[in-house]
Amino acid sequence: MNEKVLTQHFDLKNLFQIEVYLKEAGYQAVQKALKQLKPAQILEEVKKANLRGRGGAGFPAGVKWGFVLQAVDKPKYLCVNADEGEPGTFKDRYIMSHNPHLLLEGIIITSYCVGIHTAFIYIRGEYEAIALRLEQAISEAYQHGYLGKNILKSGFDLDVYVHRGAGAYICGEETALLESLEGKRGHPRLKPPFPASVGLFNSPTVINNVETLSNVPYIILKGAEWFCQLGLPKDGGTRIFAVSGLVKKPGIYELPLGTNLKDIIFKHAGGMRNGHKLKAVIPGGMSAPILKADEIDIPMDFDSLMSAGSMLGSGAIIVIDEETSMLDVLKVVTKFYSHESCGQCTPCRVGNSWINKIVTRIAAGKGKKKDLDNIIRLASNIKGNTLCPLGDAAAMPVLSIAQKFREELELYIQS
Amino acid sequence: MIKMVKIFIDDKQLEVEEGLTILQAAEQAGIDIPHLCYHPAFPPEGSCRLCLVEIEGIPELELSCSTKVREGMKIQTKSQKVIEARQGVLEFLLAEHPLDCPFCDKAGECKLQDYYEEYGLFDSQFDEYKEKRDKKVKIGKNLILDRERCILCTRCVRFLREVTKTQELGVFKRGIKSEIGIYNGFPVNNNYSGNLAEICPVGAITDLDFRFKTRSWFLEKGNSICPLCSRGCNIQIEYHPGLGRFALPQRVYRVKARQNMKVNSFWICDKGRYGYSYLDKNRTSKLVRPNINQKQDINWDEVLDYLTAKLKSLYFMNKTSQVALVLNSWLSNEELFLARKIFNEDLKVTNIFFADLPDEEGDGFLLTSERSPNKRGAKEIGWAYVPFTLEALAENEINCLLIFGSFFEQLLNPAQLKSALGSIETKILLSSHRPELESAFDLILPTAVIAEKEGSLTNTEGLVQGFSPALPPWGESRAEWKILIELAKRLDINFAFYRRLSSPELIYQEMAEEIPFFRKEK
Repeated sequence: MNEKVLTQHFDLKNLFQIEVYLKEAGYQAVQKALKQLKPAQILEEVKKANLRGRGGAGFPAGVKWGFVLQAVDKPKYLCVNADEGEPGTFKDRYIMSHNPHLLLEGIIITSYCVGIHTAFIYIRGEYEAIALRLEQAISEAYQHGYLGKNILKSGFDLDVYVHRGAGAYICGEETALLESLEGKRGHPRLKPPFPASVGLFNSPTVINNVETLSNVPYIILKGAEWFCQLGLPKDGGTRIFAVSGLVKKPGIYELPLGTNLKDIIFKHAGGMRNGHKLKAVIPGGMSAPILKADEIDIPMDFDSLMSAGSMLGSGAIIVIDEETSMLDVLKVVTKFYSHESCGQCTPCRVGNSWINKIVTRIAAGKGKKKDLDNIIRLASNIKGNTLCPLGDAAAMPVLSIAQKFREELELYIQS
Repeated sequence: MIKMVKIFIDDKQLEVEEGLTILQAAEQAGIDIPHLCYHPAFPPEGSCRLCLVEIEGIPELELSCSTKVREGMKIQTKSQKVIEARQGVLEFLLAEHPLDCPFCDKAGECKLQDYYEEYGLFDSQFDEYKEKRDKKVKIGKNLILDRERCILCTRCVRFLREVTKTQELGVFKRGIKSEIGIYNGFPVNNNYSGNLAEICPVGAITDLDFRFKTRSWFLEKGNSICPLCSRGCNIQIEYHPGLGRFALPQRVYRVKARQNMKVNSFWICDKGRYGYSYLDKNRTSKLVRPNINQKQDINWDEVLDYLTAKLKSLYFMNKTSQVALVLNSWLSNEELFLARKIFNEDLKVTNIFFADLPDEEGDGFLLTSERSPNKRGAKEIGWAYVPFTLEALAENEINCLLIFGSFFEQLLNPAQLKSALGSIETKILLSSHRPELESAFDLILPTAVIAEKEGSLTNTEGLVQGFSPALPPWGESRAEWKILIELAKRLDINFAFYRRLSSPELIYQEMAEEIPFFRKEK
């Protein structure tokens, strides 16, 4: 049986209430961290645990904190990226709605480690009910002395605020998130400088995903060694895979990093629905390059997927069966990115709209012979040439679908 | 101590200052890297993606506008990969572009047009519908926005955010529907709005004052200094040589800012930009004797001889106290210096006054409160700046009155002025513009405006700036310094001194010798 970490108490009724959470040994990690450990020891432990970011890029969390820890001249901020906008991804919402205090523990320990006294949870606007639940959890934590001034008499102060986004995918990109949090238009910033040196309100800022931070309390309680052996040597811990699409049991599955994709779909998620055959899988959120049915015998970790030409991303697995038209998939993908491009830089703004217009035209039965080559050319001109990762995120699925399913797509053009 | 780093651009070894961006370093070496959103006045924006370059050891292309040079960096600005990316970006920019160059004001000086000529020249692969956008949005009293042409470089937005800090423009909507706009009811009406049409790299923001009047390639360009306040902003005057294709009764079609980081950086105010009509309107073009009803023309020699005789006779009779001279602060340093030498030192004239346009409010940025360009110069040359009044005329039984410029009319009551002038025997006006009281003068000498002259001005901060003629001379008009030198030579009081001073440059040297203030670089 796989060991569950983040989701282990999800079955408990009213886990989101602090009384229930405390009964299940809650806030012990905060007790341990603030009373027994020095910030440097926490950082060391998190680095040893090889905790990599769960948002998509997979950057080691400890290294990120280390950059900010060194800054001393300005206030520092923690921004929790709870925008969860990547299509197919629905893991953070479960953590926040079922176990908000776990996230708060992670926030408190991280802030204590880095020397932060203000944290913001930037949550996507659609998660209104979850935002309210977070507010409730925060006020309980204040009442119990886990937030506010002089937490657990350690002398450490921390305030946590919830900020709801207004519905833009781009605001999940960390620098656009900062702009949005500052009350500006959600446009990504030019990097460098990186948020670790110039972030929120021009101050050093740590930005971490909800799932990443929720792992921190367990690393503190059970140690880096335990965390590493849960996953892979270079990727510590488990991953919450959000499986959607035409499987029998869609949902979230917390599994060790490195679990085989085939097993996730056919064992955990119950296999294909209605006895249909598998056609393709998008393994890491919609922006990950698509895998064909014969490519899914692969361990789900950062490096394996990268060598297969795709990526682990947010760990969202979208399963496509043989009944699904790849043109429809392409239409959904291009419509989404065309709609969500912020419009700041040229290739992403014009390129995605252009590709979407071609795909829409093909779907209307007016495809031309050169269209597929044109789509591939345009997507290649977007990839690597944009200001923020949205351009790549948009170009990669388009390129992989157009290349891997070219024969099928050509049928729509000929007929 | 500035640290230098060694870099290679297109295999050319360069020593450049540390801290420069690749684009700046390339610019210094004369290597052009195309860019649209980057403007040297603002921090890099990185949104147009046209300035991408290849750096050895880095797999993806990097922005040259924001990437700083590092020791040993090897940069390719014209490699296959770069050219392809550049063409890709140009293709994106042109896909939604209306391509209405034939009636776009920017044609001929449009960066998008230039770059397509240089790096593009591909056929359009865009078979889709273009987004419907507004073609004519009035965003300010002088400005029209064409959203079809806009490439969203946001130079305009950043100018209003970072220079004027008025923030009238913003980006609205998202993705392909993104557009520049004003916030309801708050148009761009600040005193620097005209700069927007100038920094727009394409024809998206056009200037109502210039719109559809001519094509940019018909215009000649000349450099000058704006005389409409005492800031001394560097300007470029653009005019039609001879008669225009679409003839308007004017030579000058527009004034643009000219970069000078010591004075105006890249900007000029709207007062300076749109206040150019004086260059063509109401000018004096011929020597005139308003009260002598005869067709026969007079020439400069006759006029100068007459003036010399008049002054000389008063000088020999020791009656130069009956001479009154009115100067103004539109005269160059050289002219004000010559006036001092000739009238004050040689002729011993003491009734010397100044008549300038009255001060108005400054705007706290470039526009100062003074409405003439050289008050500081007059002061440094030693003029006491006694204002010209009718009382001053009445007190000193004036027999001969010489006035430079027509500004006095703005200061004095016309009826009183007319009667005061009536009691003076000889009244001579040297002016670039026709006065209202033309008939009150015996003789009117047409003079040049600053844009037609050579010389130097001292701005409000004491910076001396030289200027050369930007426009060809107007009719029979002559620069005041030429008139003064001619007069001085004819007066023959100190011939040897004036004979050498055949150019403003030589006059300046003489002035610098005498007045330490001017011993500095212009």
